[in-house]
Amino acid sequence: MNFTRLLEIFKRYDITFFGISTAIFLMGLANLYSATNASSSSHMAGLYKVQLAWYGISLVVGVIVSFIRPKNFFRYSYLFYAFNIFLLIMVLILGHKGMGAQRWILLGPIRFQPSELSKIALILVLARWFTKSNPDREMGFKELLVPGLLAFIPTILIVLEPDLGTGLLHLLVFFIMCFYRKLRWKTIGVIAILGIISGGFMYQFGLKEYQRKRVVTFLNPGSDARGSGYNAIQSKIAIGSGQFWGKGFRKSSQASLNYLPENHTDFVFSIFNEEHGFFGSLLIISLYVILLYRFIHLATSMTRIFDSIVVMGIMSLFFWHTFINMGMVMGLMPIVGLPLPLMSYGGSSLLTFSICNGMATSISNSRNLF
Amino acid sequence: MFGEDDIVKSHKLRADLIGHIMVICFLGIVARLWFLQVFHGERFLEYSTKNRLRKEIQKAPRGMIYSRNNQVMVYNTPRFDAVITPQFLKNKKETIKKLSVILEMTEKQIAKRLKKYLGQPKYVPVIIKKNLSNRELAIIETENNKLPGVTVNTFISREYSDKEIGSHLVGYISEISQSQLPKYKKRDRFNYKLGDFIGQSGIEQKYDLKLRGEDGHVFVEVDARGRMKRYIGNESLFGGTINNKQSKPGNNIKLTIDRDMQIAAYKALEGKVGSAVAVDVHTGEILTMVSRPSFDPSQFSRGLSSEYWNSLVQNENNPMWDRTVQEHYAPGSTFKTITAIAALEEGVITSDKELSCGPSFRLGKRNYHDWKRGGHGMTDVYKSLRRSVDVYYYKLATLMDIDTISEYAKRLGFGKKTGIELSRERPGLIPTKEWKKKRFGIPWQKGETLSCAIGQSFVLATPLQLALAYAAIANGGKVYKPILLKEIFTNEGEVIQKADTELISNANISDKTLKTIRKALSQVAYDPKGTAWWYKGFGTRMAGKTGTAQVRSMNKKELFSKCEEMPMKSRHHGVFVGFAPSHDPKIAVASVVEHGCHGSSAAVPVVRDVMIAYMKKYYPQDFKRYEKEDRAFYKKWIAARYKKKEEVKTNAEAGQTSTENKETE
Repeated sequence: MNFTRLLEIFKRYDITFFGISTAIFLMGLANLYSATNASSSSHMAGLYKVQLAWYGISLVVGVIVSFIRPKNFFRYSYLFYAFNIFLLIMVLILGHKGMGAQRWILLGPIRFQPSELSKIALILVLARWFTKSNPDREMGFKELLVPGLLAFIPTILIVLEPDLGTGLLHLLVFFIMCFYRKLRWKTIGVIAILGIISGGFMYQFGLKEYQRKRVVTFLNPGSDARGSGYNAIQSKIAIGSGQFWGKGFRKSSQASLNYLPENHTDFVFSIFNEEHGFFGSLLIISLYVILLYRFIHLATSMTRIFDSIVVMGIMSLFFWHTFINMGMVMGLMPIVGLPLPLMSYGGSSLLTFSICNGMATSISNSRNLF
Repeated sequence: MFGEDDIVKSHKLRADLIGHIMVICFLGIVARLWFLQVFHGERFLEYSTKNRLRKEIQKAPRGMIYSRNNQVMVYNTPRFDAVITPQFLKNKKETIKKLSVILEMTEKQIAKRLKKYLGQPKYVPVIIKKNLSNRELAIIETENNKLPGVTVNTFISREYSDKEIGSHLVGYISEISQSQLPKYKKRDRFNYKLGDFIGQSGIEQKYDLKLRGEDGHVFVEVDARGRMKRYIGNESLFGGTINNKQSKPGNNIKLTIDRDMQIAAYKALEGKVGSAVAVDVHTGEILTMVSRPSFDPSQFSRGLSSEYWNSLVQNENNPMWDRTVQEHYAPGSTFKTITAIAALEEGVITSDKELSCGPSFRLGKRNYHDWKRGGHGMTDVYKSLRRSVDVYYYKLATLMDIDTISEYAKRLGFGKKTGIELSRERPGLIPTKEWKKKRFGIPWQKGETLSCAIGQSFVLATPLQLALAYAAIANGGKVYKPILLKEIFTNEGEVIQKADTELISNANISDKTLKTIRKALSQVAYDPKGTAWWYKGFGTRMAGKTGTAQVRSMNKKELFSKCEEMPMKSRHHGVFVGFAPSHDPKIAVASVVEHGCHGSSAAVPVVRDVMIAYMKKYYPQDFKRYEKEDRAFYKKWIAARYKKKEEVKTNAEAGQTSTENKETE
């Protein structure tokens, strides 16, 4: 590889995804600094440095991934999926020994959460299956059988951990990918009706009041079953009190008084809204929407159907995380504990989204580089 | 690949649809933001600056603990703490100054307390002074307006009816420590918080999860100065519902303990260091479990004063120690019963076979002495237990292997934990050849069998093990698991857990042997020559065995010197374990009195008082009859003895009166 070739690569390297993501991340970092340093508890003051370090690592990993050719994603998708299922089972086995909810595997000093990896594995394995089974025709119930099973296995394993939020996310990503892969409208309708009826029936008649509560707390101990109303209200007060222009950087009162729990992870967006108001959030939301549109654009401009579906899967992962998190902090949805991509504190989540960016970049580059 | 391009293109419609749905979703988010921030922004801003929603925890009352007769042993009572909520503290200096006058504390002390909790969120109240007096309470409540941020917390304090009596068994509660918190959270999956009280020992610890209940909470709206404006019910606020949660009281526990017997045992141990355990021989239920010196658990739940803590720590007898299960002793002669059982069962000896027992027994180069200088002469198994003849058991020991004796001891529950619901139980020790080889690397010595046969050397047992073993002798060989918990019931009275009698093992000892042993043991107390005769009291019909455990090995001179004249630390432990009534056993009682010198004078009265308390309460008719008969027999015997003495006196005119020889082993 000579110098001109390297320059060529550099010139044609698609920096859209990493670029927009880094912009969002930097705004998130400033916000995280504000959220953790306004409060009196000093033990969180250094969190922004940890977050920065994690983003550095994630960026390096993401760029490395961007140099893997898309055909290798295709080739190793089943192997990757099998490995991921193995990890999820390991977590369950080790988790039972340790008692309590266990989502981590310890790799020396690093704690590793296989359910994050599982999202990527699911996207790849579904894309490969869809590519191989008559990608030119519409899909009905019969064609849904195998991909349904592929999505269901990791979902169940993750729900058992128990981590209801991430489990549901798998199903939502699965749904968007099926929708993109031309699931018949009739099938969608039937599934929707069946889902509503059986779900409502179970909830209404199958369970008693205290059982309903117990099921929710069992499946998702992270959810604040006792004070969910309280959190939602505090979050709404924080957002609402920001008004149009916001209270200003580091001026959040809800965060500084620790009224908002988890204000550095799940509720970062509330703090951002309180400090930067409607105007600031409009900016952030625009960035997210642009990023998502770039994914959709990339998906439709591909020549290989596998690449196209993978990109659409990545887009749906970003979309659901963003939409559910924003919806939950402003009281539109129940609190399920999904982080806001690139803004919430947490290394595993940063790494996942960076790998996704890397994959999208690799696919984008493959059009004109290789 | 040819044609793939077209396939992707054919998906364009769906991709656009997804794009549109996505935009609609985000428009919804933006609309919501507009609604919250622009449309209702003023209201939220006002709310966030002027009013605050505060979540107040309502502590669940901890369950009560009852005795077997439904008497309250542990209960709760309200108490008041002065607290400061830093968030609402204005004019910090001035408020502290005012408060220091009211609470009679220095300003420094208050500032120090506040500083300690600096790392916590500002809305968490800091306790400044616990247990306010009525006067302090009244002043703070009336001066409330001038003391922003200062409030009174009502708290439920744990009280123990019997204070020091049986406190080891009931245990105590105290605030969960920083280091305990993560451990407990992980283990019990319970939402423990700093400031929570948890059981730290005894029943309080073992059944903490059952007793503690579930804390509730209410939401209150407070103004900017931290004063409550109103309670908020289950109503909606800004579209979200607030759910107040009622606290759920903890479950109550009924123990197998009898309070009157506890008191009797505690009184009998007055001025002594030791313990007493009583078990029901047919169920394994523990009726009495007392250890002295003791501590007052109420002191812990109120917030321990440093003086009290120091007094506990500096007491060399360690009052925190439960001597019934956390300490094991050489059982001394009480172990002879087990050696006798082994010998009878193995056919080494029969009940009527007499052995000649001199003042000592020679094995190899060493002389093994009897406690009685002159020896006992011809001795059968009854006499051997009645008079506690050492030489008889030295002889049995030469006829048996240590492993044989150990086998019988283990069958009666010695040498392993009884499985009682209390922590840090000691297993005791029953030596075997294999054990010694493993532990010390040298083979078993024949002489050690001799020492073990009379309960010295390696043999160790807890008072509880002694009581359970003798209960098995009394009930025909059944070793029960000791039970402390009778039932757990909810506040509404619904029983949710009931303890069942649990047979651990059957010792497999023939009825003939047990009958012989029971007869011999009853002679210990009810034969005028028995070692417990002088201290047995009236009305219990007890049977049992005295024992004296040497604290250290002694030479011949020391062995026969008066125990009471030795320094406290080298005095023997007094042991007695028995059951009553001997013809139809109901309870077995064991007592060990540290450095009490003799089993007879130190430990027998403790056991006696516990048994009397039991008989009086549960079999008053029998007790009266036995007492009358016992007294009559005693009077007759004394009269006969006096007459005999008079005869001796007149015979030997010079009048060398043989002093009363209180036969003790």
